[in-house]
Amino acid sequence: MFERFAREAREVVVGAQDEARVLHSPTIGTEHLLLALLRQPTPSAAVLTRHGLSADEVATDVVRFTGSADLDADALTSVGIDLDAVRSSVEAAFGPGALDDPKSKPARPGHIPFTPRAKKILELSLREALALKSRSIADGHIALGLLREGEGLAMKILHDRGVDAVSLRKDLELVLNS
Amino acid sequence: MADTAEVATAAGSKDPSVGLKAVRSMRVLVERLEALQVQNAREQGWTWEQIAQLLGVTRQAVHKKYASGRGPLRRKD
Repeated sequence: MFERFAREAREVVVGAQDEARVLHSPTIGTEHLLLALLRQPTPSAAVLTRHGLSADEVATDVVRFTGSADLDADALTSVGIDLDAVRSSVEAAFGPGALDDPKSKPARPGHIPFTPRAKKILELSLREALALKSRSIADGHIALGLLREGEGLAMKILHDRGVDAVSLRKDLELVLNS
Repeated sequence: MADTAEVATAAGSKDPSVGLKAVRSMRVLVERLEALQVQNAREQGWTWEQIAQLLGVTRQAVHKKYASGRGPLRRKD
């Protein structure tokens, strides 16, 4: 299905895999697509930035939400422990991932599968491109697919950060039509 | 990130679901930090006795927990 993807859209798909690997995720989810979108040097990515999203902040959110139940950043915050601060100081001394669960399987170097929702976003990006009468799928169409799908961790992060999905969609369409 | 007021509210919360989750997470955090520090001490040549003393446990306790079976904490010699 990727033959209609333009170069920057392919880069998002590949980038999402890298994001998942760095974050030790066993699957590529909506949040990894969002992160990969934010790291593109494209007009669509600039629209996301204008709406108050940055890759670093989103990555922090992802770590917070996906941090396992047995090491709950919010719960630790409630007793005054900043898990991010602990993690940074531990990683500074012992290397990246030092605080990760030693029993959890290390990310395999090979293929990481997409979650059904992330897959759905990629399918919807084709529909968004067709709706906007575009011959190829750009990264902005993936962003529109993400908004259209409407659920998952990426949307939760958008919502929590107060991003107006309707106005974001409009701005993306503007950039994609220009 | 929760702001200071929120943190203060949560810390004073009598809601067990908040407090118990915090306790569980602290325990996990302590376990992971202990494993890292013990491993580091062993790599730097510390004896189980020295490690146990600083951890405030018996030598047997720390040895049993970290030296059994295979794994990075097993002494190579």
